[in-house]
Amino acid sequence: MKAFTRAGASKAAITEVPTLCPYCGVGCALSYGADANGVIQYAEGRDGASNARRLCVKGRYGFDYAAHPQRLTRPLIRRDPAYPKGPLSTFSRADSSGPRKPGGIVDYAEVMPHFREASWEEALDRVADGLGRIRSRHGADALAGFGSAKGSNEEAYLFQKFIRSVLGTNNVDHCTRLCHASSVYALIEGIGSGAVTNVVRDIENAEVAVIAGCNPTANHPVAASFMKQAAAAGTELLAVNVRRPGIAPYCRQYCQIRPGSDVAFYNAVMRVIIHEGLHDRDFIKRRTEGFEALAAAVESYTPETASEMTGVPAEEIIAFARRLGQARSAMFFWGMGISQHVFGTDNARCLIALALLTGNIGRPGTGLHPLRGQNNVQGASDAGLIPMYYPGYQSVADPDVQARFEALWGASLPANPGLTTAEITHAALDGDIRGLYCMGENPFLSDPDINRVREALASLDFLVVQDLFITETAEFADVILPASAFMEKRGSFTNTDRRVQIGRPVREPPGEARQDWHILRDLAQRLGHDWDYADEAAIFDELVQAAPLYANLSHARLGMAGRWYPCPGPESEGERVLFGDTFPIGRGRFVPAQLGEAPDLPDADYPFVLNTGRQLEHWHTGVMTRRSRALDAIAPEARVEVHPDDASRLGIHDGAWTRLASRRGEVSVQARITRDVAVGTLFLPMHFREAAANLLTTPELDPYGKIPEFKICAVRLAPELPPSAPSPPAEASRAVD
Amino acid sequence: MSEVTLTIDGQSVTVPAGTTIWEAAAAAGIDIPVLCHDPRLEPVGVCRVCAVDIGERTLPAACVRRVEPGMVVHTDTAEITAHRRVLTELLLADQSATSRRETTTGDDALYALARKLEVGTIPWPDGSENTPRGHDTSSPVIAVDHQACILCDRCVRACDDIQHNDVITRTGKGHATRIAFDLDQPMGQSSCVSCGECVAVCPTGALTHRALPERPAHLEEVAS
Repeated sequence: MKAFTRAGASKAAITEVPTLCPYCGVGCALSYGADANGVIQYAEGRDGASNARRLCVKGRYGFDYAAHPQRLTRPLIRRDPAYPKGPLSTFSRADSSGPRKPGGIVDYAEVMPHFREASWEEALDRVADGLGRIRSRHGADALAGFGSAKGSNEEAYLFQKFIRSVLGTNNVDHCTRLCHASSVYALIEGIGSGAVTNVVRDIENAEVAVIAGCNPTANHPVAASFMKQAAAAGTELLAVNVRRPGIAPYCRQYCQIRPGSDVAFYNAVMRVIIHEGLHDRDFIKRRTEGFEALAAAVESYTPETASEMTGVPAEEIIAFARRLGQARSAMFFWGMGISQHVFGTDNARCLIALALLTGNIGRPGTGLHPLRGQNNVQGASDAGLIPMYYPGYQSVADPDVQARFEALWGASLPANPGLTTAEITHAALDGDIRGLYCMGENPFLSDPDINRVREALASLDFLVVQDLFITETAEFADVILPASAFMEKRGSFTNTDRRVQIGRPVREPPGEARQDWHILRDLAQRLGHDWDYADEAAIFDELVQAAPLYANLSHARLGMAGRWYPCPGPESEGERVLFGDTFPIGRGRFVPAQLGEAPDLPDADYPFVLNTGRQLEHWHTGVMTRRSRALDAIAPEARVEVHPDDASRLGIHDGAWTRLASRRGEVSVQARITRDVAVGTLFLPMHFREAAANLLTTPELDPYGKIPEFKICAVRLAPELPPSAPSPPAEASRAVD
Repeated sequence: MSEVTLTIDGQSVTVPAGTTIWEAAAAAGIDIPVLCHDPRLEPVGVCRVCAVDIGERTLPAACVRRVEPGMVVHTDTAEITAHRRVLTELLLADQSATSRRETTTGDDALYALARKLEVGTIPWPDGSENTPRGHDTSSPVIAVDHQACILCDRCVRACDDIQHNDVITRTGKGHATRIAFDLDQPMGQSSCVSCGECVAVCPTGALTHRALPERPAHLEEVAS
């Protein structure tokens, strides 16, 4: 017989802070349970509009990066012997493609000796001087800024304001350029708005949903749970992807197209819909223009022709078109498989045309939804962190707009649109960009063709990096400023659904690390601008003033639950479904597209097509997730996915070491044998620096969205002997239990 | 939608037809204890601690029984309390000495119910004394303590019906019944994607967050 004598629960010692998840664009609301020392013990889903208390592995377990011992606690200045600049660690050097050590984060023992600690006074003086000197010698357009979609709206707003009004150039961009820039271009061109027209969860009202070029179970896991839930309740999912997505088993149909053949597939689908009279004639007549040109453009894409181009049997293309054409409501979700191509804009144009053709915008259960990647990529773009637009997508080339912003900011502003992310690194190589302010981005790993980026970063006269850690990019910095992590700041974040929500601080920044907006304010003051804000809410108010898009929103009104924008009145929840009656440009525009060709195609020497992307447990360049003990324990290593037919032909078994080489670089990586990839194609996640996918990728850009081609590059694959680890921080020590 | 008026603990309550007694009581501010039910899940009525008296021969589970016009419900009689206490004592009889949930998220619903019912000595033998149900520590993030599992099915429904990952199921018969992953794989080797929804809904120490794994020595580098 036992006695039940348990004392009260120990939960009293835990404070739960309602905030958001710092990872993807789904924007899950959560609470962090923190102990008296501010150490986060667990994350619990809140009843947010986009997550209904659900979380995924990253949100649930990936929060400890902020408490990692590698956090920067004081400003750092590069020591004189560390010039001329170049990579500081063995890893980042050009000759380092040999065996790597595991772990995947910058080796501080190797890098730290090249920097010295400095006071904030000295570091900020050095930054103001470094940037100011380049401006006076080479002009403001020799400067550029990379902001971050991981920062808040307030930080994004101030960063672009700093680059534009203090430094005097429009060369300001962020990782949207590597993500959905092409989708946004096509959306603004086609319907006049770059954001989603409907929220993820409205899929429950859709009869059919197209899941195109995205892998939501890995990259938007909580959104995927609502898609699967809708599928269980009767919504029919139609997936199109070169690599089998995790949601495929829940789909009515999955079409595995050949890399780069999206336009052919969708043009053929549109041709079938038009030929079989399944298009929405009334919607086309009332709401669109350019239908005849579209119909003419798709006419040559018969199912048989498209079948040869895409590898999808003609009858499957016809079945897809009929199911979609007959649906009373359909939603269109897409991701990087659509956007990250040199013809990414054309791919997105096809999906927009398909939605217009079938009348599937503006009603419940219909709409266009490019699944935004970062937790605040929508907000950072809304706040003007892009070279061609002020906050609220107001063109920098419009003199009236420019005058309005000059009045608002009390500064004269440049009239010429600035350079985009990859254009900035190209320009650095050419000597046209000489100074770069990098806040929370890691272009060394995130931009295509690392060997090119390495040279570009080394060639800069002045680089200031503001981040949580010494990133690979920060190895090239003159000054490194220690910044605040998501769970150390207050600010608003706009998710993929256009919902603006408030993140709240759980812990203090470590040591002397500062709030990012304080750093920007102090730098602006040093450069002669009288910036002063009471708090984050005041910055948000100025953003609302600058961007009518955010009308009727304020920190107080956002409260615990947030609201969607556009928000038509102070009491409104905001709008879920947009464009029921008209588009911002009046009529929607059909923009026909023809099948293009990728710049780096296979040949006898490089016979495989390499696709790059993400996996569930990791986030982009791994700066956060590889410092999360749980996520690192679940997924410690990179794997290249190889089809079993290719693997057996080359004598590669599951887990075997292989050598992957493209025309630009090479990596060693272990193989995973899977039928998820098609014969002749490979997949490598982008997160792992020791097998950096971007050493292989090609730097060519989409002409409209300026997005790089991350999804197609030609590579060679060969078995390799296991690496003889030079310094063995024993592989065994990675085991968890 | 038609409405139904009933009486719960002497209080007249009007709710839409199809509402369960548990939901109707919750709407009226009356808290009926539950272990196997969570408002986000379809009720299954397996733990029986939400049993109420509606004047029938047996005590129906409030989480599944729909309201009926004129129904008179008592949620808190001496008979019901005795019923709940016995059930709670039976569930506690083969629990581990401590609940990991009490020391992690601190929200063990079984222990909280036992405290509320002022359970003292448990008059039942520990059925698992000679056949402990075991642990599964193969997942880096989720600890499975089969001994603390009360087979409430919340994790199964959360995995299937909320996250739609379809990983968790039941296996075994009788006393040997326990939850399982895929075709009874260790959790860490199953198709589990570690979303933690099962931990979030578990009412006991059966599924809890593990302490974060130790940082490998080569990552323990301190800045500057």
